[in-house]
Amino acid sequence: MKLNAWFGILEIGEDGKVLSADLLSKDVRELAQRSLTLRESRQDPPPAGFDLRAAALGCGFIEFPAEYDSLLHEVALEAVKIQVSASLTPDQRIIQAVEALDDINETANSLSERLSEWYGGYFPESGLGGEALAFFVAKYGSRENVGPDNPLYAKALDSMGANLEAEDEALLRGFAESVCSLYERRRQIETYIESSMERIAPNLNLVAGPMLGARLISIAGSLEKLALFPSSTIQVIGASKALFKHLRSRAPSPKHGVIFSHPLINTAPWWLRGKIARALAAKLSLAARLDLYSGKKDPALAEKLEEKVRQIRASNSRPPQKKPESGAKPGAKKKRRK
Amino acid sequence: MPEIRTLSEGVFEIIKDKKQLATRNLDPGRTVYGEKLIPVEGVEYRAWDPRRSKLGAMVLKKFDIPLKSSSKVLYLGAASGTTVSHVSDLVSEGAVYAVEFSARSMRDLIGLAARRKNIHPILADAGKPDSYAHLVEPVDVIFQDVAQPNQAEIAARNAARFLKKDGYLMLAIKARSIDTVANPKQVFKEEVKKLEQAFEPEFEILTARDLAPYHEDHLGVLAKLKNKTHLE
Repeated sequence: MKLNAWFGILEIGEDGKVLSADLLSKDVRELAQRSLTLRESRQDPPPAGFDLRAAALGCGFIEFPAEYDSLLHEVALEAVKIQVSASLTPDQRIIQAVEALDDINETANSLSERLSEWYGGYFPESGLGGEALAFFVAKYGSRENVGPDNPLYAKALDSMGANLEAEDEALLRGFAESVCSLYERRRQIETYIESSMERIAPNLNLVAGPMLGARLISIAGSLEKLALFPSSTIQVIGASKALFKHLRSRAPSPKHGVIFSHPLINTAPWWLRGKIARALAAKLSLAARLDLYSGKKDPALAEKLEEKVRQIRASNSRPPQKKPESGAKPGAKKKRRK
Repeated sequence: MPEIRTLSEGVFEIIKDKKQLATRNLDPGRTVYGEKLIPVEGVEYRAWDPRRSKLGAMVLKKFDIPLKSSSKVLYLGAASGTTVSHVSDLVSEGAVYAVEFSARSMRDLIGLAARRKNIHPILADAGKPDSYAHLVEPVDVIFQDVAQPNQAEIAARNAARFLKKDGYLMLAIKARSIDTVANPKQVFKEEVKKLEQAFEPEFEILTARDLAPYHEDHLGVLAKLKNKTHLE
């Protein structure tokens, strides 16, 4: 019987004794490559309980027992290094970008709030916030520097804000510049996600849009995992808390997770959202599978979804009657669309 | 002067101000995950946090730990290597085959394995032992912490291939990863039954204890192969 060991191909007899051995050279890199090939093919693995160590010693691959461990250690380490460096696939890069975007959003918001709080003491009438305020502070510093061509000139002239001293001004300006560069970085990451989504997952990009598509890949863990999910799972990705509450107790099931940010759902009237979410999730899962297995863009997917949504809207044009115990009075259901 | 008690081979309890589980550091001067280093009479020990390691919790729950300095161990679900590092301390003359499926965790594990010659890292699915059969020799102990719904089956498949006739299986069963909704006690009962009967080989359960208060809804299990003809 032939078997593949990490150090060579062995021929063993009925009693498990090694009859002949085709040994490899002790080149760590080559042995590691072979180990990875065997992992994939799983061809002729040793039988259960086969003592590789004894065989390696018996057929003369190694000279003394301790050498077995030290060589195997090197080979195993080299093999996992190759695997780990190959694991940074394009979809993993998108995931990193999405997560970096979330971190930047969070940071930019809290720093913006700080700036608005801080600078508000010196120019409360500005009415600016977020990126506009950061840009204003970085550019002008004290409100005294605002020129007559700026729309805020009049307000700056008779502001009740405190006088901004040079030391504080330098500090605030630097702070505002950091906030500006965060917003700049955010745009850069968004552009990156948009272009890589078009390359890596064109169908998902078409149906979901780049941000939602990237977020779905990120939560699933990879494009492959997303493609393996049933569409009912995709429908509630990002709503795990509500889902488990539903499974554990009698809470209602969630209708949508992160896909709520899709314009088809969040612009739809409330009684259609669940139905549209189901239709959208079905097409999203098809899109992910197309992207993983064929990679070709299929414009028909988006058209079919639109058609389906049109049908849903046509056949459910008015809201359903609410159940009496939910507290709605019979005459008060005026939530009709348009 | 701290007092040292041996709990089992290589596992110590150091009593200084409070009791502290520890192993002898195989890689002196280095910590792995921010644990404390405790020098006693010229020997360096590493503190072992039972809340971060299910094996550590099993020690404190008075399991008979079957690890000796010469043991060969197949560790399924090695993660970033927190527990693996202590197993590596314990089997200083043996070997740990550390199987992990996540490339991200393996990145951390590589750093550990590079410094400890008795760890052989393997990036593979523990549910497919065929894929690493060309690397792993018969072992004395299989330790499994994979948090998969089919973990009993995974244990059986690996034991069939790699566990010596008189070897031991240690595993941590996480109720929430089998069934998020069911009552943990019920889940434990069913999982233990699966180990005993559902797959080939069957196991004989030696000890099964809840790992509270160190880990919520986890059951630690020590088992050996049921007395039938198995690996020769």
